[in-house]
Amino acid sequence: MAEMTELAGPLAPVRSLRLGVAGPVGTGKSSLIALICRGLSSELRLGVITNDIYTDEDARFLRSAGVLEPERIRAVETGACPHTAIRDDVTANLMAVEDLERDFAPLDVVLVESGGDNLTATFSPALVDAQIFVLDVAGGGDVARKGGPGIARADLLVVNKTDLAPYVGVDVDLMVADGRAARGGRPVLALSRLDESSVDSLLDWVRQILAGFRAGTHVAVDPGPMAPHSHADHAGSEIPHTHPHR
Amino acid sequence: MVVARDIDPGIDSDLMMMWLADARLPTGAHTQSAGLEAALNAGLAVARIPDYIDARLATVVAVEAGAAVVARRYACAETAAPASLAGRLTNVETAWRVRTMSPALRETSALLGRGYLRLLGRLWPESTAVQALSMVARPGRAVVLGVAAACCGLSAGRLARIIGYDDAQTIAAAALKLCPLDPVDVSRWSIIAAPAIASMADRVTDLSDPADIPAAAAPLIEQWAQVHATTAQRLFRG
Repeated sequence: MAEMTELAGPLAPVRSLRLGVAGPVGTGKSSLIALICRGLSSELRLGVITNDIYTDEDARFLRSAGVLEPERIRAVETGACPHTAIRDDVTANLMAVEDLERDFAPLDVVLVESGGDNLTATFSPALVDAQIFVLDVAGGGDVARKGGPGIARADLLVVNKTDLAPYVGVDVDLMVADGRAARGGRPVLALSRLDESSVDSLLDWVRQILAGFRAGTHVAVDPGPMAPHSHADHAGSEIPHTHPHR
Repeated sequence: MVVARDIDPGIDSDLMMMWLADARLPTGAHTQSAGLEAALNAGLAVARIPDYIDARLATVVAVEAGAAVVARRYACAETAAPASLAGRLTNVETAWRVRTMSPALRETSALLGRGYLRLLGRLWPESTAVQALSMVARPGRAVVLGVAAACCGLSAGRLARIIGYDDAQTIAAAALKLCPLDPVDVSRWSIIAAPAIASMADRVTDLSDPADIPAAAAPLIEQWAQVHATTAQRLFRG
């Protein structure tokens, strides 16, 4: 009964892996999602929620990219508060994710793209199970060194647009090393949509997170206080619980 | 680790009034402008935003507050089973819907109602009224706030004031994002609106019958909401 689902909290009849993509404006979050959709839509059932700041431009971009059925890409308006919509009050996004999961059940992965914000904007564990934080070389080689919760503790840090490095005078290896230094061993991926092996690494990372989520072994590495959440078991049903996080 | 502690049913109602009126409550309300973005797009002058607040208080807000007050009364009354209360809440919902012509406004209200219901379901899962509410199909914000007031131990007058105050503050906060304004000037608007909020609240506080809910339409607000629903470039959902 749908109404009781509402009361039970953020549990949909079939629960997908919810994967957040955050990072400053223009770093290539939409392009990264397009890469994931293009690479995985033949093996996984995907959905996308975008959070545009002042248009549904990102949703339109993804629909026009032809990487996923247009109906599986939905835009959420955030009232000019992209930061709030993924962290302090995730209600609008959570409802959109649940609706997508219900309308296209069963989905394997729902990608939630944050409206581009600043270095402190990260997802709440009440909204996503894992998150990617995206920087790009064109935004400046020193950004990874500046740190912040997303850079330090997102499940994956992506240094994007590495093909542009020669044109903007950025040392990719140094930027990746800065990222690693800030992350205590958590993964960092140097990505270019023109470098197939880097795209393959991204896709493998998503597969690996999904496998961990399904096995119940994935633990969201949240850059902030932990909230009650749940993991799917092998059959895809819910095992709600809480546990301490660093 | 998050440790859930029981909510004291006798909690101070002044504090609960502030809690329910707080914009930081996680209900998705920050996505809303109470129709202001649509009104500005349609040509409303910035200088007349205080008049817009008054116009809403006299019309759509009075309808919403009236429905909420009746829903609260039902939710506070002793009832045998959630199902019978659900029937009465549905009657209130229907009464609100027939007084709200615009499908876009009803949709926005259902969205906000869902956000508040999510909150209530997590905080007061044992409440008969919350369980009854879960049996009402897509309840709008008015009915859900009526049940919220019952959970929070708030009087009808306080509930109506929260709804009026929230509308004024929603408009004021959205105005700061949509127009170049001094935040201090804008914060004055909600104080200026206080007498209108209080008189709107007095108008609906004693209601107990859905038939008596004000039927005060605001055709332009409804029309603007319809236009806004298909506007591509917008900051706010409604």
